[in-house]
Amino acid sequence: MRIAILEDDTSQSELLSHWLQLAGHHPHAFEQGANLLRALQNESFDALILDWNVPDLNGVDVLRRVRQQLHSSVPVLFVTGRNREDDIVLALREGADDYMIKPVRRLELLARLEALARRARHVQDQAEVLEIDAFRVDCQTRTVLRHGKQVDLTAKDFDLSVLFLRNIGRLLSRGHIRETVWGSNAVVTSRTLDTHVSRIRNKLGLTPEHGWRLAAVYRYGYRLEHLDQAAMQRLTADDKAAAV
Amino acid sequence: MTSGTGQRQPGRDSLQPRVVWLHKDLEQLVIRFLRRKEGDVQRMRAALLDEDFDSIERAGHDLKGAGEGFGFPELSVLGAKLELAARSRDKKLLEAHFATMERYLKRIQVRFN
Repeated sequence: MRIAILEDDTSQSELLSHWLQLAGHHPHAFEQGANLLRALQNESFDALILDWNVPDLNGVDVLRRVRQQLHSSVPVLFVTGRNREDDIVLALREGADDYMIKPVRRLELLARLEALARRARHVQDQAEVLEIDAFRVDCQTRTVLRHGKQVDLTAKDFDLSVLFLRNIGRLLSRGHIRETVWGSNAVVTSRTLDTHVSRIRNKLGLTPEHGWRLAAVYRYGYRLEHLDQAAMQRLTADDKAAAV
Repeated sequence: MTSGTGQRQPGRDSLQPRVVWLHKDLEQLVIRFLRRKEGDVQRMRAALLDEDFDSIERAGHDLKGAGEGFGFPELSVLGAKLELAARSRDKKLLEAHFATMERYLKRIQVRFN
């Protein structure tokens, strides 16, 4: 998972990042609430870990803006030293999904994060086989069948397809896609990413006439949408009108 | 090790140093953490001279949050005591906690495997 951490204590932030990395996640640390909010304009995360007492905007202010201004339902776990009942109640009522009081334990933190993500369906089906509409994706043999026929995909195309099919309806930032498919240290240009997206759109038939739309969102990323019948008809009609 | 809330002055050996075994993966993080905490003692002493209790309270709060995660639960306890003493502006107790923290950091023996 791609996880943002808001924590102004460098030691604590390093420790949390270390734990998350060891568990195979991709942590992104922020020391100030404003910086995290800025990042959220352009980046998607699978979960946020928020400390309460940070400079400028505190954790609850950040949470309010995430929920009310960004309209984001990203899972939020508070990790803070504040242990008063009214603090816990306030954070949960403002939209936090879980609350942990420092000092936190590594395995418990990881388990809670995974539970949050599972409930949010962001790591839905780490199952080996995904069956969605006309697709059957086997993660063990790394094959995709469409209407029972195998689709010829490169390794990266396969990873990209799985990422989108596991996150239907969710807007994924370019950074998120790059990191998940190519890894944190890879240098991948926007053009390369766009080429791969375009290729899987064609190979998997992720187009309105097949009930899908893999839409680019300007300066942000992509979203795979499964269209209902009415939306399909509307979009197909629009496409035809545009073609005339 | 005491686990009180800092209302009484800690005795000379209330935080017995010990040998701590930690995973090798943590080595660089722990070295940096302990170095920062040594610096924190100096910064808190300077803050006390300026009667900047807020800074001491924050440093205590951070120590309380991080100590145990790094493998030093005694430091989390001490952090909680510092936080409380700063809140109650008890200079004498704060000085005693600084001395305890300094002694602990000096005598702690960390091994990695």
